[in-house]
Amino acid sequence: MENTVLKEELKANIVKFLNLISVNPSDIKDDEPLFGEGLGLDSIDAIELIVLLDRVYGIKITDPKEGRKIFIDINTMVDYIEKNRTK
Amino acid sequence: MTKVFVTGMGLITSLGDSVVENRNSLCSGKSGITSLELFKSKYADSLPFAEIKIATEKLKEILSVDSADLTRTSLLALHACKQAILDSGLDSSQVKSMRTAIVGANTVGGMCLTDELYKDSNSKEKGSPFLASYDAGSVTLFLQKHFGLKGIANTINTACSSSANVIMYGSRLIKNGLADRVIVGGVDSLAKFTINGFNSLHILSKEACRPFDKSRQGLNLGEGAGFLILEKESLVQNRNVYAEVSGYCNANDAFHPSSLSEQGDGPFNAMKGALDLAGISTKDIDYINAHGTATENNDQVESVALLRLFGTVPPFSSTKSNTGHTLGAAGAVEAIFSILSLYHSELYPHLRFTDPIPETKLIPVQEYEKRDMKHVMSNSFGFGGNCTSLVFSKV
Amino acid sequence: MLYIHKASCISPQNTFNNVDLSILMPSFENMLRAIEPGYEGIPPGQLRRMGKAVRLGVGAALPLLKDSPQLAGIILGTANGGMEDCIKFLNQIIDYDEGTLTPTNFVQSTTNAIASQIAFMSGNKGYNITHVHRGLSFENALQDAMMHAIEDPTKTYLLGGVDEISDYNFNIDFLLGCFKEKFTSNDALFNANTPGTIAGEGAAMFLVGGQKENSLACMHALSVLTSTDERELKESFAEFIYSNNINLEEVDVFISGENGDRRQDNFNTEIELAMPPEIGIVRYKHLTGEYPSASAFSLWLACHLAQGNTAPAHMVKKVGAKKTCRNILVYNCYQGLQHSFMHVTS
Repeated sequence: MENTVLKEELKANIVKFLNLISVNPSDIKDDEPLFGEGLGLDSIDAIELIVLLDRVYGIKITDPKEGRKIFIDINTMVDYIEKNRTK
Repeated sequence: MTKVFVTGMGLITSLGDSVVENRNSLCSGKSGITSLELFKSKYADSLPFAEIKIATEKLKEILSVDSADLTRTSLLALHACKQAILDSGLDSSQVKSMRTAIVGANTVGGMCLTDELYKDSNSKEKGSPFLASYDAGSVTLFLQKHFGLKGIANTINTACSSSANVIMYGSRLIKNGLADRVIVGGVDSLAKFTINGFNSLHILSKEACRPFDKSRQGLNLGEGAGFLILEKESLVQNRNVYAEVSGYCNANDAFHPSSLSEQGDGPFNAMKGALDLAGISTKDIDYINAHGTATENNDQVESVALLRLFGTVPPFSSTKSNTGHTLGAAGAVEAIFSILSLYHSELYPHLRFTDPIPETKLIPVQEYEKRDMKHVMSNSFGFGGNCTSLVFSKV
Repeated sequence: MLYIHKASCISPQNTFNNVDLSILMPSFENMLRAIEPGYEGIPPGQLRRMGKAVRLGVGAALPLLKDSPQLAGIILGTANGGMEDCIKFLNQIIDYDEGTLTPTNFVQSTTNAIASQIAFMSGNKGYNITHVHRGLSFENALQDAMMHAIEDPTKTYLLGGVDEISDYNFNIDFLLGCFKEKFTSNDALFNANTPGTIAGEGAAMFLVGGQKENSLACMHALSVLTSTDERELKESFAEFIYSNNINLEEVDVFISGENGDRRQDNFNTEIELAMPPEIGIVRYKHLTGEYPSASAFSLWLACHLAQGNTAPAHMVKKVGAKKTCRNILVYNCYQGLQHSFMHVTS
């Protein structure tokens, strides 16, 4: 169940990187949309998530549009991290 | 209320170190967007920049100033400001009069010295000579001291619309009787701070920028300074006048810190307000110098706002295709370009355009053209939703 | 004529919500940091991105925006804006060697972030500007508002001054010699007789316009000078009094920007000597510390006194002959170079 550990770690990192002061990591549901509804993140957050992937998991994304395809929800992000992480 | 006239102009950009050189470059469709030669950055090999190919030490030599605390930003400002004063024919007593104000603009001041600032801000021992040269105000304070200015002095920072606002503000000082003439201008030099800032937002283009093109990939950073002398009508008499500052408006888009709203209310309101103040209608505008940064968001939104206001959009271009985005200098530099168009009755070619944005289909001026004009508009929009439009009219 | 209709202030003292200047909150290591409120009015989604300067500015502005007439615009003065974010971003550039950097610090560091954030939060699409002329940032914002009151007296604007202490600008200004070498507590600021002052921060916001009805105070005249010469200062003050028809005999109180820096005493003395002996003198920099837009606090204080409030003993340098406080002169000097005079009446 490594997957669950990664999910929890990712949620904590999202809260930390985006400074989501009123959000508890466990409040973020695995299939809840990160943008628009749900957490209500915006274009700057999308770039902050790219920085998160780079600094924590060693994944480099250069095109923010590519990022938006990955940052749908926690599930899609975890899938992508598992396949592409270099650290 | 008095009219406000432009009686002097000074410029230094990647296109040249004088108004004449800049005009020649514009006429011949020259681009100042090249690779970095003087400025050290990790991105020197991967990104193009509109760098002025005169080293900071050389600028000091040309300007005969030699003070350890001088930054490249202050030197570029001095260069353009000196030219503008000379061009207007003001003598020293006029410059030093209590009735002569200065309003400067820049976005990062002396922070072009990113590494020095890093050291100074993280230490309590042994400061560099630049301690009082980092803030935006330092540039104007230097000019005040250099020219012995005694009147009202101000510095404005509204990000990329900063120096459009100084033209507006200077005109208001004159109209309100607080000054008879105002030295206004903007400057910024290349800085690791802005290079990395815009890069972190993923809006720097890897190739020379293509404003209003379907395939645009972002902006190129540039550096430069533009200064103008504004005077009240009664002082001008038989001296040369380039244009009247006939309209200006500052409006906020109130949408997002770093992008414009889909409908472009900020740009729309700024353009409309400037027309209203000038007392003219959309069909009176003969040319628009667009903000046109070549980011996906700006050009799309600016096009939408242009179509909303004008219906049929007059000839327009973005001279950022020549100079890159000079940030705090852009408003003043592009105001001068707009005035040159008006004064010399000519339109300059917008560079590297091939395909219009599918949704808006606007096509900029691509060939040099002689054309008589009465009114031109210059747009400047910045982060924080800060939008300003200016209208200049033939005198 | 510019009329002030509402005023709000976040400072190192109890100036927000329940104003109480009688208790002097202490400085720590030559810094007076603002007492930040809970910011209940700011949505968490926006608060999370704000640096201190933006929080202070937005926080001070919010009470004025509630139940207010439609604002025609936002006019702010700040020398440095979000300095903390600015240097955080700078540190990233160096620490990560120009690698993948987080954009939030960059976007928040632009000095216009405070005025634009207030515009987003209040949906204000009007005039929006940030004056950044170091120690005259607020004065220039004030001048801008005074012009607007003439251009269209029916309109109301939000006017303010904000600056923050960051570890970074403290270091830079310390290296410049602006602050005292030894720790000096703020209650002893005016007795230290040493060079330098102590650092401060704060935000003062005002609703202003050209209409007199229900106003707290009237900003009658403003003048500025950039000079290191006492004689020029004296002449400039005389010119300010003369050209604005100010009768010094009618002035009740002088608010002095004295900051405990021995090197600036000559300027303050020059102005004090130019005034009739019966004028009361009030000081405030031991409440706020020194910062480029501290004069915004002095205008807030002038409004506070003009409302009939009295200055507690620790603020009074000299007791005046008059009981009333309706006619106020304010002088400020920043780093011995940028000077300003204000005349406020009620």
